[in-house]
Amino acid sequence: MSVSSVDETTTTNSEDSRWAVETHGLTKRFGDNVAVNDVELLVPRGCAFGYLGPNGAGKTTLIRVLLGLTHADKGTMALLGVPVPRHRDRALARVGAIVDEPRFHGHLSGRQNLEILAASRERAARGRIDSSLERVGMTHRADDRVSKYSMGMRQRLGVAACLLGDPQLLILDEPMNGLDPAGMHEMRDMILSLVAEGRTVMLSSHLLDEVERTCDAVAIVDHGKVIRQGSITELLAGSAMELEVGCSSPERARTVLAASPLGERVDVETSGLSIHLPVGTGRDAIAEINRLLVEDGIAVYHLEQLQVSLESWFLQVTSRLGEHE
Amino acid sequence: MTSVANESTSSGTIAVSAIAPSHDNRGSWIPNGAMIKTKIMELRKRRGLMAALIVVNIGVPTIFLLVRLIAHAVAPKSYGPAGGYAIYTDLVAGVMYVFGFIVAATLGCTAGSSDLTDGMFRHSVITGRSRLALYFARIPAGLAIVVPLVAVGFTIVCAVCVFAAPTQLNYQGVNIPPGLTATGFNHWAADHPKEVICGLPYNGPEGVPCFINGHGKVVVGGKSFPPGAPTFKTMSHTQIETLAVKVAKQNYADYARTFLYPSNALMIRTGLWIELEAIIGLIVGLGLASLMGQRTVPVVLMIVLEVILTPIFSRTPIAHLINVQRGLVGLATDHLEPGGLPHAFGGGNGPGQVAQLVPESRTVAVLVIVAWLVGWTALGAWRMVKRDA
Repeated sequence: MSVSSVDETTTTNSEDSRWAVETHGLTKRFGDNVAVNDVELLVPRGCAFGYLGPNGAGKTTLIRVLLGLTHADKGTMALLGVPVPRHRDRALARVGAIVDEPRFHGHLSGRQNLEILAASRERAARGRIDSSLERVGMTHRADDRVSKYSMGMRQRLGVAACLLGDPQLLILDEPMNGLDPAGMHEMRDMILSLVAEGRTVMLSSHLLDEVERTCDAVAIVDHGKVIRQGSITELLAGSAMELEVGCSSPERARTVLAASPLGERVDVETSGLSIHLPVGTGRDAIAEINRLLVEDGIAVYHLEQLQVSLESWFLQVTSRLGEHE
Repeated sequence: MTSVANESTSSGTIAVSAIAPSHDNRGSWIPNGAMIKTKIMELRKRRGLMAALIVVNIGVPTIFLLVRLIAHAVAPKSYGPAGGYAIYTDLVAGVMYVFGFIVAATLGCTAGSSDLTDGMFRHSVITGRSRLALYFARIPAGLAIVVPLVAVGFTIVCAVCVFAAPTQLNYQGVNIPPGLTATGFNHWAADHPKEVICGLPYNGPEGVPCFINGHGKVVVGGKSFPPGAPTFKTMSHTQIETLAVKVAKQNYADYARTFLYPSNALMIRTGLWIELEAIIGLIVGLGLASLMGQRTVPVVLMIVLEVILTPIFSRTPIAHLINVQRGLVGLATDHLEPGGLPHAFGGGNGPGQVAQLVPESRTVAVLVIVAWLVGWTALGAWRMVKRDA
């Protein structure tokens, strides 16, 4: 199906849309392989949004489709409320993006590469070159050839290129790639500061810890399909609960809990028990576990609800999918 | 501009615009001046490429002429003048025509593929700028480099050929005063009968066994004459003069087209002709490289087209493929070659050599050139639009 057959009429056509990115039924195939499978994605404006998924899940392909780097086979999409690809020139005017590894003309300096990209944007973009370089901390190396840059410096230059268009939306594909810990810290701060300015940052990453620290909301993609999306707080609140119990007789405690409907999985550890409670379990279950153990004569030294990390939640979600398949 | 954040600060913070930028024709297929200017910069900064182009297009003819200038200055009797009409025609048709095309094709192939191979194409597409505009920006950028490059090389050749031209016309190895009328040429022949009879070609029953040697001297004798043939000793002075005038009359038309140095009109027409060839090389190379997405193979293909295929198929009519042969852009430009030049790639010594080419009218030649320019531009632009970035 050609681009022209991609239906854009159902996508919100308003620059006042509350969504920075909006897709409905977006599909992209490479032969028999469905890289982007009927994706329904809503990225709110003014937040940092993580787009997560295992390798080969279709993250980069979705970004490429959104940016018009390749065409969609089916579905609708809009950036900043502007339908694409019909009005891609207007939509991309306020979008900056890094896709895959940022590469530039190696024989030119960083500044000259930005001059080339600024020339394709509005006239004012040429006046933002210096401030963009300063923003990413590249002023001192701006006149060196890009061929002499490290991977991290090219990443920074890529972000500077994004900033030339004074973007409302930044789409960053694996922005932490090639950065050392200090560079990752700076990148995280930069993303947060961009969001603080009212911009939307959508980033894909394998580094779940970084995403958890940086993003307000995430979408999980697997096999080309978005399987969960929402704010991190909401998503983790709906995840399985993990409880650590310090008690006098862990083996007996496990037998007691195994006979009850409370523990989905109970593991014996040196200091006590690790109990995985099913999704949707309320806080009352913790009190009930305590009551069962005490009534059975087991001394309970402590009960602690462990905070579920994005990483463990991600693994739960994706492994559950694997079980269904 | 509506902002939802503070204006730029000393720390480099950038205000975020809440509205789309003012109309900047981003969707238009016409590139803006800044795009062309930065593309020129991108090409110009390729030092290795530019050095190679300058060496081939300017360095080779310049060194050739410089060596001739020095040799003539050191040993004028052994080495003729550096410039002159003959040197001009040989250099222009034999070197600058071919080298200009190859230089332009190389630049075109680079311009057509560098964004892709360097990974900048993706960045450029993300700006929202029309892909057609990105493609079309390469054409004026390439021309802005190639046209002056060819012009500089050609100007050097013209300057040397005019200012270091011989003072006497060397026609068929015989030094003859330039610009003689038919009568004047006959008078001169009568005054220099041996040079004329022994040096100039003659198609007639009479003949004298002699020739002009490499030092311009008349050497009497020759194997091709039967024993008892007339010689300068057996012929009267009047007979010798009469024969010299007959030889001169046969050669005048050709002599009249031979000059000490190229005329202004010829230089202008030749300059335009090799610029046309360079422009074709650039545009075709650009389209081919854009189509293939790489530089090396298109450059090789362009050189094969210019140096191997065109010379062969321009001169060898194949009955069943004659119209295909007429579609060769090299043949078309050959047919537009200014009169007075030897045929490109050698094999001829004057305008009459055009008869050796596969026949084609000038109108068809112009149409073929236009078709190549438009066709390859369309193919390159189409691929640019359809290519996954």
